[in-house]
Amino acid sequence: MSNTNYASAVAAVKAMESSLLTQSELEQLINTSSAQERANLISSKRGTGNETLDLEAAWETVHSYAPESRELEILLYRNDFHNLKAALKAMVADRDPERYYIKPTNIDLPEFTKLIRAKEFDMLPDHLKETAAEAYELLTRTLDGQLADSMIDTASLAAMQKSAAEFGGDFMKRYADLMTVCADIKTAYRCSKMNKPRQFLETAVCGCGEMDKESMIRAALGGTESFLSYLETTAYSEAGKLLSESAAKFEKWSDDRVMELAETARLQAFGSDPLAAYYIAVEAEQKNLRIINICKESGADSETITERMRKLYV
Amino acid sequence: MTNIGIALAVIGAACAALFAGIGSAKGVGLVGEAAAGVVSVDPSKFSKVLILQLLPGTQGLYGLLTAILMLSRVGIIGGTPADLTAAQGLMFLAASLPIAIVGLFSGIAQGRAAAAGVGITAKKPDHNGKGIIMAAMVETYAILALLISILLIYNISI
Repeated sequence: MSNTNYASAVAAVKAMESSLLTQSELEQLINTSSAQERANLISSKRGTGNETLDLEAAWETVHSYAPESRELEILLYRNDFHNLKAALKAMVADRDPERYYIKPTNIDLPEFTKLIRAKEFDMLPDHLKETAAEAYELLTRTLDGQLADSMIDTASLAAMQKSAAEFGGDFMKRYADLMTVCADIKTAYRCSKMNKPRQFLETAVCGCGEMDKESMIRAALGGTESFLSYLETTAYSEAGKLLSESAAKFEKWSDDRVMELAETARLQAFGSDPLAAYYIAVEAEQKNLRIINICKESGADSETITERMRKLYV
Repeated sequence: MTNIGIALAVIGAACAALFAGIGSAKGVGLVGEAAAGVVSVDPSKFSKVLILQLLPGTQGLYGLLTAILMLSRVGIIGGTPADLTAAQGLMFLAASLPIAIVGLFSGIAQGRAAAAGVGITAKKPDHNGKGIIMAAMVETYAILALLISILLIYNISI
């Protein structure tokens, strides 16, 4: 009876997947002429009057099915670390961080704000405490927000990899690696364009098993051509081509790779992987709906919007 | 030690009911978990997932049938136990093993297949039959084991 965990949760998630938008429904949405028409289309799909699948609600559902799964919490690490950035910067600027927070998150935000303000970093969740103390010290010493942001972003990727190795399965390890590779490629390319020094690159690039940190830094220090040539020698040569065309194309490529990975997880009948895949799918759907709304508001044509659509799960 | 033969036959009957029953209980329980997950989201799918939940239950019935046939053959049910030698008792015990062992493992395996089939019903209710067929394939081996157990029970000379 091994590997039959979460049989109930996986079946429930598969039932919920039927409320996700399909490719043809997305095309219908792209061809709508007003926000009201889009809202009506989505409402008729969901059949509940809900226009959007709320990401927070999706997380609550997934988490309620597997409350003890620390593996799933890795999905929210990016939000946790973003909230850390927001809290630290708000503290230094003496502002209220509440409006800068992203949800869902693994942390209790009011308590988190209090702890940050009191500089009680040791009381923070394990994956945040060290980074919080280091980032605070860096921010107050250098007053360089960009450097602190880079440091926190890198720490977030490293925490994902560490937690995935510690209590994650194969899917979560591949997810953490993929997120790291995509973030590192983007960061290293930007740094190569802006001629950032080695010291900055060492803080901003995380590295993982697939993409060695030192090789990436060396390639980025040689300029964009050198970095793109380096990517040609890796499994991510396509990413390099897209990156040189536009950042938006690279972002879409990254999101599509994550969705392809989620597709492998959703085929599992048991375990927490399909739950993670469902959450990733809801995230992608929200991103697609946001892109449609923004593009429609700015008057973009249907072809342009279609090009920007992320891969779908269903 | 004059009743050793009949004792071995009774142990055989108990094994058939016990192990096949455990297999079914585990299988049905697993599918039940998956079915409850679907029904919690969409109660209208109850009847469809119920069929899948029933499938791993058959091994327990086969074990029960084997046990009853064996107890009847050795005269326990009739109230006049046969005078079995140790060798005959061992043969009855051996006759129970196919359904006991295959029932245990096929019940669990069928439960896994049926629980995965619940996922098909959850997402594509129209393809429910495919999930049932895939889970039912496991049944073949339980039926083969039952057949051998019955043949052995009726062909042991008393």
